[in-house]
Amino acid sequence: MRNIFPKWGKFKMKDEHKTSLRQVKIYSIVTLVLIIIGSGVSYWTSGRIDYFTKEVMQTSDVLQRTSELYASILERETNIRGYVITSNDEFLTHYYQSNIDADLLLAQLQELTEDNGQQQNNIAELKALIDTRVRVFDATIKHMQQHGDLVDFIDPSKVNNALIGYSLIKATVLRINEVENALFREKNNSLINNINALPLIVGLISIFSITIGLVTFFSIYQYNRAQKGANMEISRYQQKLRDQIHLLDDSNKELEQFAYVASHDLQEPLRKITAFSDLLNEQYSSILEGEGEIYLSRITAAAVRMRLLITNLLEYSRAGRIVDEQVKPVKLSKVITDMLEDFEISIQDKSAKITVETLPEVKGSETEYRQVFQNLISNSLKFSKPDFHPEIIINSETASPELVGRFSMLNPTLSYHLIKVSDNGIGFEKQYADRIFSIFQRLHGKKEYEGTGIGLAISRKIIEKNGGVIFAESSAGNGAIFNILLPFISI
Amino acid sequence: MYNTEFMLMSFEKPIQILVAEDDEDDKLLILKAFERSLPKENVTCVEDGEALLKYLKRIAPYDDLKKYPRPDIILLDLNMPRKDGREALAEIKSNDDLKSIPVIIFSTSNNKDDIRITYKLGSSSFITKPSSFEELVKITEEIENYWSKTVLLPG
Repeated sequence: MRNIFPKWGKFKMKDEHKTSLRQVKIYSIVTLVLIIIGSGVSYWTSGRIDYFTKEVMQTSDVLQRTSELYASILERETNIRGYVITSNDEFLTHYYQSNIDADLLLAQLQELTEDNGQQQNNIAELKALIDTRVRVFDATIKHMQQHGDLVDFIDPSKVNNALIGYSLIKATVLRINEVENALFREKNNSLINNINALPLIVGLISIFSITIGLVTFFSIYQYNRAQKGANMEISRYQQKLRDQIHLLDDSNKELEQFAYVASHDLQEPLRKITAFSDLLNEQYSSILEGEGEIYLSRITAAAVRMRLLITNLLEYSRAGRIVDEQVKPVKLSKVITDMLEDFEISIQDKSAKITVETLPEVKGSETEYRQVFQNLISNSLKFSKPDFHPEIIINSETASPELVGRFSMLNPTLSYHLIKVSDNGIGFEKQYADRIFSIFQRLHGKKEYEGTGIGLAISRKIIEKNGGVIFAESSAGNGAIFNILLPFISI
Repeated sequence: MYNTEFMLMSFEKPIQILVAEDDEDDKLLILKAFERSLPKENVTCVEDGEALLKYLKRIAPYDDLKKYPRPDIILLDLNMPRKDGREALAEIKSNDDLKSIPVIIFSTSNNKDDIRITYKLGSSSFITKPSSFEELVKITEEIENYWSKTVLLPG
């Protein structure tokens, strides 16, 4: 089928659809990418949170151990003082326990601050200070155990040393605390930042996704609506087209019916005119005087011609009616040679030479094609030059696309046969090339050439109903060429 | 003309024809044509299918057998008012008393469906009305000749 919607829709609609479809695709991809990025960032952030939580816990652990260590140092100082004052051994037990505690805590701190060089140095310093202090204490204890008092042991000049030793320890502990506190603050801040960032990131991505989702949804909705609209428009046009085809069919049928009924009903009174003229002629011709007889014969002749016209009109109204059972591949060569055999006598009468070259097979009805070529050949014989032997050539070739393109009735995507019927007759003026195919159109007087001018009109109707065209070319005195374009039989 | 009539008189009994025709002109032409081969009183006319059946069934005003004798054959037009030829034909052919009478369709139609249907209904012939009077005369002569001489009728 040919494209019946040449102008509207197709292109415009396709473009619109393309845009919104592409939009939807882009939105979907962006949403997907955002969700992936969001998940990645969230995962990373939760990893950071985990990391900083551990770090914060570690620093608080260090702080706690440091304060425990400091407490144990204080406890040791207290115990040693108690022992010196009271010589009670119970203080010593506590003192040793404190030493063990301090060593353990120091080892733990060293382990906890493994990754921090500054703290390692501080702890090493603290350990050295504690060791120095412990050595003094151990010496003090030893002296106490040997002498029962410290009378000889305490060197007043060195009392300051003990104070300085303790201050140094305290200062180191404070330094450790300070460093660790700073670390704690820093890590804690990072932790809080990360914890705060997570909902923000998730929230932002959610908002983006939801927005794009909404936009996508809206685009799809719009696209659907546009498509629905377009579909509705298409079906509306299709309905309109169907209605018009229906109307056309109806009016065609009506026209055929009209032509049939008109010609049929016209024959009724005509028959009577003829019959009564006959009767009049037969019974009263002797009474008719002068021109009376001529008038009567004129009436009869006119009635005969009218009958011919009506019969032709009837024939024309019936021609080209596509009856599906009759449509089949027709071998034109065979149809024409058969037809020529039937007309052999009139061909011989005119000493005509008719050449039929190889002709194609086309779709249609045998009788109708026979009628077409019979009309064309009798036309050529009729309009032959008086002193020439008529020569008619029927041949075929494949029509060029340029030629096919000249006729809006033809489908430019199909291939067509170009069948030519050429003669060497009197031809006709170029300007009449179309007129000769109209019903009852004649180029010559009735006296010169007989006929009603229906043959070519019927031929054209038949060719056009079979999806082809017929056109004539000539210049007066140079013969005529009748060209028929008919589609190739599609397989 | 006189001679013809005399000659015909010498035969046994001329055929009786009933023409059902609504058109006055056609009726006149048919009668004129039959005059060439038959005495006037052997051709009677009715103007439609209804009258045709009344005639055949001898219902008034067709109850006078002398004036309206039973026909040997019927010449039937198809397109008539009231009861058209097809209906009349169907009725005749379903009537035991009448169905033996041959019916010749004599119409302007040459429609294939009309031809098929009327033969199916039991018509004996289908003749399309000719366009000239000469042809009409020829046809009436042929009818007369065929139905009175060539074939035997139930009578």
